[in-house]
Amino acid sequence: MQLPGKVAVITGGASGIGRATALLFAREGASIILADLKPDAGNRVIEEIVQCGGRAIFETVDVTRAADCHRVVEAAIRQFGRIDILFNNAGIIRRATVLDLTEEDWDRVMAVNVKAIYLLSREVIPHMQKAGGGTIINTASGWGLTGGAKAAVYCASKGAVVLLTKAMAIDHGAQNVRVNCICPGDTDTAMLREEAQQLGEDSGHFLAESAKRPLGRLGTPEEIAQAALYLATDASSFVTGTALVVDGGGLAGS
Amino acid sequence: MCVLDRDADGRRKIANELPSLAGTLAADVSNVKEVQAAFAEAVRLMGGVDVLVNNAGISIRHNFLDITPEEWDKVIAVNLTGVFYVAQTAARHMMERGDGVILQTASTNGVMGYPFYADYNATKAGVIELSKSMALELAPKVRVCAVAPGYVLTPMQRAEYTDEMLAEVNRKIPLRRHAQPEEIAALFAFLASDDAKNITGHVYTCDGGETAGGLASR
Repeated sequence: MQLPGKVAVITGGASGIGRATALLFAREGASIILADLKPDAGNRVIEEIVQCGGRAIFETVDVTRAADCHRVVEAAIRQFGRIDILFNNAGIIRRATVLDLTEEDWDRVMAVNVKAIYLLSREVIPHMQKAGGGTIINTASGWGLTGGAKAAVYCASKGAVVLLTKAMAIDHGAQNVRVNCICPGDTDTAMLREEAQQLGEDSGHFLAESAKRPLGRLGTPEEIAQAALYLATDASSFVTGTALVVDGGGLAGS
Repeated sequence: MCVLDRDADGRRKIANELPSLAGTLAADVSNVKEVQAAFAEAVRLMGGVDVLVNNAGISIRHNFLDITPEEWDKVIAVNLTGVFYVAQTAARHMMERGDGVILQTASTNGVMGYPFYADYNATKAGVIELSKSMALELAPKVRVCAVAPGYVLTPMQRAEYTDEMLAEVNRKIPLRRHAQPEEIAALFAFLASDDAKNITGHVYTCDGGETAGGLASR
């Protein structure tokens, strides 16, 4: 086991990349605090973990609310006494140009994808500093490194995640708090299917187009979870401030 | 596993340390004939090669204005031409077998500018672009990644830097220290494994946060 005795807070843990990471981290011995807006789906993940002998609790959390972020960290400390790993993974997408995007959607995407990292990290970092260190992993995106069509606010938010990651890495490195982000390419999740819906495209066609990259396929949530595991363990003990691209070569060039 | 090095003492030492090695191979990576012969020997000893860590490199600390044509040629020969010879030899073998992973040592010096190593930095930027281009042509059979270590406390670094220089550098790294060579090895191990089977065509940094904002940010 690679994470024996560790405690991990995972946001957006009820589905997709967050769910796969929660299952993997639990298998590797970590105790999990799963934070998500959706209690039904979230509790199903908890059941899966517990059935396999893991330890996990669920908290219904809106990561854009400071009070919720405070509460989930308190719950984690109360239950498990420490937080070693924070996976800021909750994220949403709106496939629209600035002309088609509502102001409410702009604010919502920036709040979930960016502000939440600030709100949760400021609660968790003091606990990590007291414990001698910790590791924060943020889910960015290939679209945090390059632009994409009809995804203006999503690209803006993920670009912000990449540089927020680097800035936090500089600020907290001296206390051995490592901060990194993962830049997934198109990954086979509900969010990817929702993109097809938002664009009004046939889902099969959209997924086939998304798979056009050097490795010729979509990523799986489990493959992103493996990258998160690397950043969570001491295997990456000198890695901080980096953006780990996991995209089947999609950004390597054309 | 086979280890390739042109240094006979080093080969003997690691063969003693690692009795499980399939063998050690003598070659100067800048000599294509030696590379091809050594690789063929590796295939003979192990029955095939799944993973290449294309790591050999040299650096010379000097002012750009003082670099001699001989020094320039030597650094390019090992760090770029040598990487190409080994990579192409291995890639031909892996494409025929249908899979493989090629990992190449670049450097944070290939991502940002640094004084006194202009030739070295140019080769490391070259390794990154070579890796990306190889990844595109060799996909989906063979994955290719570049690894960019920051400051690592290797014997080469100890020999080049005084204690004061090391301390000065450590102050500028967010994690406040050099990497141990083992920490770079851990990144190679991750990228070589099936845990990274959707990862190809990029450069992966292990630098204690050094390039998160650049030395100037401190």
